Amino acid sequence: MKKAILLSACALTIFIAGCSKNNSNPTNNNTNVTEANVLTSFATTVVNPNYADINAKAAVMNTAVATFVATPTDANLKAIQTAWKDTRAAWESCEGFLFGPVEDFNYDPTMDSWPVSKNDIDGLLADNSNALSPTDLANLQNDNLIGFHAIEYIVFGVGSTQKAANITAREKVYLTSLSQNLYNTTLQLKNSWDPSQSNYTAQFTTAGTGSTTYKTRLDAFKALVGSMADICDEVGTSKMQEPLTSNGGKPDSTLDESSFSHNSVTDFKNNITGIRNAYLCTYGGKTGSVSLSAFVASKNASLDNKLQTQMNAAIASFATITTTYEKAIYTQKSQIQAVQAAIATLHDSIENDLNAFIVANVKD
Amino acid sequence: MKRLRVIGFLGVIIVMLVECRKAAVFPATQYNDELSAGDETVFMSTSKSFSNAYPGLSGYDVYVHSLGDAVFSRTFVTAPAPVNSGLGPIYNNNSCISCHHNDGIGLPTAGELQSSLLVRISQPGTDPNGGPVAVPDYGLQLQDKAVFGVPPECKINIAYTNQTYAFDDGETYELRAPTYTLSNLYTPITGSYLLSPRLAPPMIGLGLLEAIPESQILKGEDPTDANGDGIKGHANYVWDATTQTRQLGRFGWKANTATILTQVVTAFNQDIGLTTSVMPVESSKGQSQYDNRYDDPEIPDSLLNAVKFYAQTLAVPARRNTVDATVKRGEALFMQAKCGTCHKQTFTTAVDVTKPYQSNQVIHPYTDMLVHDMGPGLADNRPDYLANGQEWRTAPLWGLGLFETVNYPGYYLHDGRARSVVEAIMWHGGEAAQSKAYFTHLSKADRTAVLAFLASL
Repeated sequence: MKKAILLSACALTIFIAGCSKNNSNPTNNNTNVTEANVLTSFATTVVNPNYADINAKAAVMNTAVATFVATPTDANLKAIQTAWKDTRAAWESCEGFLFGPVEDFNYDPTMDSWPVSKNDIDGLLADNSNALSPTDLANLQNDNLIGFHAIEYIVFGVGSTQKAANITAREKVYLTSLSQNLYNTTLQLKNSWDPSQSNYTAQFTTAGTGSTTYKTRLDAFKALVGSMADICDEVGTSKMQEPLTSNGGKPDSTLDESSFSHNSVTDFKNNITGIRNAYLCTYGGKTGSVSLSAFVASKNASLDNKLQTQMNAAIASFATITTTYEKAIYTQKSQIQAVQAAIATLHDSIENDLNAFIVANVKD
Repeated sequence: MKRLRVIGFLGVIIVMLVECRKAAVFPATQYNDELSAGDETVFMSTSKSFSNAYPGLSGYDVYVHSLGDAVFSRTFVTAPAPVNSGLGPIYNNNSCISCHHNDGIGLPTAGELQSSLLVRISQPGTDPNGGPVAVPDYGLQLQDKAVFGVPPECKINIAYTNQTYAFDDGETYELRAPTYTLSNLYTPITGSYLLSPRLAPPMIGLGLLEAIPESQILKGEDPTDANGDGIKGHANYVWDATTQTRQLGRFGWKANTATILTQVVTAFNQDIGLTTSVMPVESSKGQSQYDNRYDDPEIPDSLLNAVKFYAQTLAVPARRNTVDATVKRGEALFMQAKCGTCHKQTFTTAVDVTKPYQSNQVIHPYTDMLVHDMGPGLADNRPDYLANGQEWRTAPLWGLGLFETVNYPGYYLHDGRARSVVEAIMWHGGEAAQSKAYFTHLSKADRTAVLAFLASL
């Protein structure tokens, strides 16, 4: 009998433990927390505004470039650098959910291929027969010569030492076209989800009820959750890891993505912030009515708490890297590894727990 | 007390059920129709469903797969460069994923950023190893891009002619017939030449196809149509550049490549312009674009092996809706139409104790790994070893239902001319003419059922 009690106690313990993991008491009685509303809120509060923001920021950069070309002062160069970082922040944020047209129509590699091909850029600038118009650049069909990092190469320079006086007339023409092309791509990206344009929003929000891309609602949820997990993986095990050890186990700052601008740590952090934006359904200070977080919380509050805690922890951990990533890979390795660990923890929770949750709970 | 015990045990069961939900490795004993690739099946139907490692890999193998994944995603640039050096000087694209986007089938355009179509070229005749004959100054593949300052070999122009046809019940469909022409040649081509366009194929399950015993593939051969079913498959035997031996061809649209390693080094060399220890000579050697640099091999063996391993260990997504009545009906019609004679449903991979993850797996690739005459409509008229100008390898159909999701809007066949599965079916000819005719005669409902079955793959 004693044994039986012990066994029951054991079972009960597991039961309680199990219950705390799978809270059956909804903490959110909001009846709007439906799967369809989660998708709609995400599309209207996060995706469309984020893409519109990238486009708006790219327009600001275009203006800054024009101002600089007309009046090439260091202050005006600085304004381009700021505009680049602002555009970059909006872009890195949307990398928290890389699925749909951004992939299908290759807007990502068109804007964000890395590394730049310095040899080819030098050759292109030296070849006066090329007028370097936006069309000329597009016709080169080489994504190593265009996009964010080509602009970064010109406006920041190697080691972030660029001066207005060093930028040649040819480089100014090149820069103007690069910025224009980037703007054009951000406009295409924005239009791809815009309900008044190509309206991928409808594909996503009608998942399981007529969408040809997402046959079930679960497919749409999986696309979202899968993309959140993917960017964790890319930041933690690729973008951060490769500069750390790819040079035969030793650090190599040339493997660092935004090394000209020293913006890498900010890039990484904005990627993870993008994940949190998607999860909490928030962008630019506005929050959607029904977030994925609320949907999770309505059925499993502890999972929602865990995910939020881990997202916050991963984002906060970047503050421990107190220098540029190019230096940190030599001097702050343990801090970097702690950030990577926080991201890995978040990744596993998204890929395993959140994924299992949606598989179990998203019904069509 | 007893009640408490019951509740306790129920609790255990609930916890077990909750924790069992995660799709992971399925033991072979729980085998079902959804498992396209045995233990190496993944339950995913999103745009990333072709990009998963085999579920059964060890921790170290996962590391090597991830390393290969990173190189597969790497964008290469003109040498010399501190990072990812060695692109070109002539090439088709600057990374593996530019063509194998999401590890899926490519985009049938040429010369653009994300183009995934390349064109093979050769002179009539055969070389000493029985393969196609290289064209002087061009080799066996046209590189239509080049690093800055040197000319690409040519521009590839694709033009389509649309024609409308009808099923027996009157419903119409349209096929677009491509023509391929070359312009902007960097140097004239002397004599006649043959062209064959090839679209980047999906990457899933390649290691499993490599693990099918040769004897099992040869069992399906019927080169003289001894059984009188109108279908005459035969194996393609090809010269393998890595081992310098003649081997069974398994990969490529005409089964002209024996192993994944050779496929990978050939793609590095010909598509991206990267040299390896297996193919240490630049594709441009002897041409005006050659860079004269002593930097070969540009890809070290460690990374080459990682990419090879990556290509060998991409899991196959599970089938969906396998118990749906329409899907079942479509599957029966697929068999009745004799589609399944070439698109052979099942193989069992070889026992291999060094690779437990792909050893002795029951897989459903829907290919016999043989080449068949597909008629003049699809012909490239360019022989490739034992595959003549009308013969193509039976394309594996696993993952077919996800092409649209993984590579929107989805293209089909060796050059992506088909924009839907229906068009792909209606391009079939030659040995498959009877199956196509069967499909043409079907009612709308039955055609829909066949398509539902194919969409479930």
